[in-house]
Amino acid sequence: MARDSDGGADGGGGGSTGTANSPSRERGRTVRNTIERRAIVGLAVATIALLLGIFYYPVATVFIDSVLVDGRLTGRVFVSILRDPFYLGEPARLLAGEPIASVIEDALSPDRRLGVIGFTAYQAALSTVASVALGLPAAYLLARFEFPGRRTLRSLTILPFVLPSIMVGVGFVATFGRNGTLNAVLGALGLGQVNLLFTLEAVIVAHAFYNAPLVARVTTAAWESVDASAVETARSLGASPFRAFRDVVAPQLYPSVLMGAALTFVFTFSTFPIVLALGGFQLATVEVFVYRLIRDLEYAEAAALALIELGISLGLLYAYLRYEAKHTVRSRGIRPLPRRPLTPPSFSVRELLPRMGLAVYAVVALAVFVAPIASMILASLSGPEGLTLANYQFLIDRQTTGASFQVQPWDAVRNSLLFGVASLAVALPMGVVVAVLTTRDYRGRKVVDAVAMAPLAVSGIVVGLGLLRGLVFGVEVGGSRIAVGGGFAIIAAHAVAGYPFVVRTVAPGLEGIDHRLVESARALGAPRARALLDIELPLVWPAVVAGAAFAFAISIGEFSATIVLASGTNQFTMPIAIERFIGRRLGPATAMGVVLLVVTSASFLLIDRLGGDDVGF
Amino acid sequence: MDRRSFLTAAGATVSVSFAGCAGLGDSDGASTEASSTDESTASGTSTGDTGGADETLVVGTYSAFVDSPSTSPGAWVKQRFEEEFDARLVWQTPSNEVNHYIERRNAGVDIEADMYLGLNTDHLVRVDETLDDGLFAEIGDVAGQDDIKPGLQFDPDGRAIPYDTGYISLVFDGTETTAPETFDGLLAEEHAGDLITQNPASSATGRAFLLHTVKQFGPDGYLDYWSDLQENDVRVLGSWSDAYSAWSGGEAPMVVSYSTDQVFADQNDANLEEHQIRFLNDQGYANPEGMAVFDGADTPDLAREFMSFLLRPEIQGEIAVRNVQFPATESAELPEDYAELAQEPPEPVTFGYDELKGSVSGWISDWERQFASN
Repeated sequence: MARDSDGGADGGGGGSTGTANSPSRERGRTVRNTIERRAIVGLAVATIALLLGIFYYPVATVFIDSVLVDGRLTGRVFVSILRDPFYLGEPARLLAGEPIASVIEDALSPDRRLGVIGFTAYQAALSTVASVALGLPAAYLLARFEFPGRRTLRSLTILPFVLPSIMVGVGFVATFGRNGTLNAVLGALGLGQVNLLFTLEAVIVAHAFYNAPLVARVTTAAWESVDASAVETARSLGASPFRAFRDVVAPQLYPSVLMGAALTFVFTFSTFPIVLALGGFQLATVEVFVYRLIRDLEYAEAAALALIELGISLGLLYAYLRYEAKHTVRSRGIRPLPRRPLTPPSFSVRELLPRMGLAVYAVVALAVFVAPIASMILASLSGPEGLTLANYQFLIDRQTTGASFQVQPWDAVRNSLLFGVASLAVALPMGVVVAVLTTRDYRGRKVVDAVAMAPLAVSGIVVGLGLLRGLVFGVEVGGSRIAVGGGFAIIAAHAVAGYPFVVRTVAPGLEGIDHRLVESARALGAPRARALLDIELPLVWPAVVAGAAFAFAISIGEFSATIVLASGTNQFTMPIAIERFIGRRLGPATAMGVVLLVVTSASFLLIDRLGGDDVGF
Repeated sequence: MDRRSFLTAAGATVSVSFAGCAGLGDSDGASTEASSTDESTASGTSTGDTGGADETLVVGTYSAFVDSPSTSPGAWVKQRFEEEFDARLVWQTPSNEVNHYIERRNAGVDIEADMYLGLNTDHLVRVDETLDDGLFAEIGDVAGQDDIKPGLQFDPDGRAIPYDTGYISLVFDGTETTAPETFDGLLAEEHAGDLITQNPASSATGRAFLLHTVKQFGPDGYLDYWSDLQENDVRVLGSWSDAYSAWSGGEAPMVVSYSTDQVFADQNDANLEEHQIRFLNDQGYANPEGMAVFDGADTPDLAREFMSFLLRPEIQGEIAVRNVQFPATESAELPEDYAELAQEPPEPVTFGYDELKGSVSGWISDWERQFASN
């Protein structure tokens, strides 16, 4: 979204008929004013139409199966799931009518059953804790210290977000496996071996690999927005550095940390391939069963299970949104806290302790984030006889000699970028408009907000099937069938998947803006859209850039909607190419994965550079 | 609109317009029904190749048949078929494979393919359990059908014809362990944590291994066996590639895979000692792959011609080699040395259609409930 360049707020607005204005310019301005006046409404209508067409309607075609069985409305599918201890654990017995006392007794016993849903929530909670624990030190480092490469590092933090699970699987086996790097290092240090793979721990670390960057990025932003003068005031009033942090800084970070945590929970609650790749079927989550049921065409149970999954995720997001609304940080800093050098200026305990902590964190981060990515790169360069470029040669051969119905690497790169940029151009205005709509005062706006977040929480498998049924198969209108597919549908689907990030990063900022600013502008005659473009968005610009980066990342990583909507191999994207290149040897797939890494890294750096300012996200 | 007749009439136009526009090309928002499939294929040039090709055969299949990083038969089959018959062959590879067509039939949408290649027995069971009117037509006479090995025919209703088969076995690293010879041997303490298999709900090999245990221990006994297997730390991962890559990375010395593993190993100059095959109880679970013509196909005769083309001895051999599977016919012409690396079990076993129908989903969901009970 380009910031307006034609002079911005011209004070008087359309009414100030300057003497030098020619009639045509006058008319032009009136037209522009009309457009601006209607812009928000128009955008809102377009956004709602797009969401209905590309998301809510298709998804509804699947969810309806949970209550419409053989043409009759019924709730029995839900009842049977909720009464099934396999899904709901001990609470299911309550719903099945067993006496409360005996259920509670069993629930307290060590061999209580969590059920698939309970277990899924349990692992998601642990993954959230791990992601926050690994994300916060990174935020501390990025927000509070100055060092060479800081901006680049910050741009690249969300890189793990886009990696297909197959790549993460390869990286983790090579890093944490029996013959992995970690064991090699431990062995060299004489510390023995660890067997991390195929355990819940491995899955949780992988989830942290994906989501800690999310926590880090949003928290960094909040930290960079803390006003230095508030901290200085507290200090001058005698507060210790710790108290100043606890009472002034921390409260301004909580909303962002919680947002990162809530999103992490939602993502890991619907985790799927990575659980089976690094854990195993004994750790099967809700989504594993949604997938299986859909594959076996048992739609009623699949839809009901996915709806329960969605209900839990949206419930949590709703709780977060209520919290966010109550804890808006009104005093966004104009002067950020000064960054400290990474090398200690003196050797006092106060200077050394945090830096030693960061050094320890750096070792952990090296193992969790850097080593798996390095292993992927190494895997792409490995062959039976050591280092080789054969896997990249494969990509070139496939490009030059592959049949047209086979995936071509360059086409995949081009499509990914094209869809990424185009969907970003759609997701940004969508996100901003929804952020505006949900930060106004009216009853139930947080419900609207939570429902608008649904694209983050609906099972990807359900979305894929819904798009197939709702769009690709089309609807019968007056004897002919109208079906939607191809590039524009993919762009729309990516925009729908990515726009919630824009909302989540932009809305808190908009909420925090002094409303009098906007009101003055409106009183002076500026249409709503102009006030938004000239006053509000510049104030929350870093948030817009961060939302853009996430929306782009979502588009690059998207798989299930793309493969359903693509009208042919020539519309496939990088993640699909990676999946197609999986074979006995993982070389070709990992080489394509490294291409994805490089292309995405460059894009993130570019987005941050184009976004401008160093402040904020 | 009837997509098939549209395609036949204007095949050239359609493919040209698709080919010309990568990426956003045909995305006019409301395209015809080409979406989600590999319809675009073949590109403008193929219209030139086939000159006055007056018929188009659209064949649905799984993506590895036409696009895999090692070898796949798709391109070769297309070329040979188009050379010989005055027709165009279009591959379609919908991501959810045969379910795509079941979905279309369910939704009352035209099926734009003439036939499907890559049907398993349990696919056919799924089709029949879901659709009242069926999806495939009875095939009738197809030349070469009599050459098919007797044990491989899996459709009692004469719709699907096998064109190749795989055998599921253990693959083990001989430098690390020696795989046991029996199912019970897998329970030995020395093999604790040694075996990786796959989720039977999402992987053909994992499903075959589970079905093999049902075959071996019976529907009343397989869960007890699995309980012991789980005690002995069997790993059940998601997809075949999850399992195979973990095995290749040395996470465990045994993996459930195909008995043709050494063919790939040899292609990649790997040490064959690390790619040993074991048929438990001297049995290999056969997973025949079949082809069938959709009910209401536009070119059923051409589809039948294509089927008998695929059953010819020289084509059978070539498909087997390129798909790294075994031919379905007795008469297939295989390279002399193929059998050295691609091993066939002393005793192939498999469940037929009638045995799977009404049972297979129950067997799998009972297994899931036992194995993933948290």
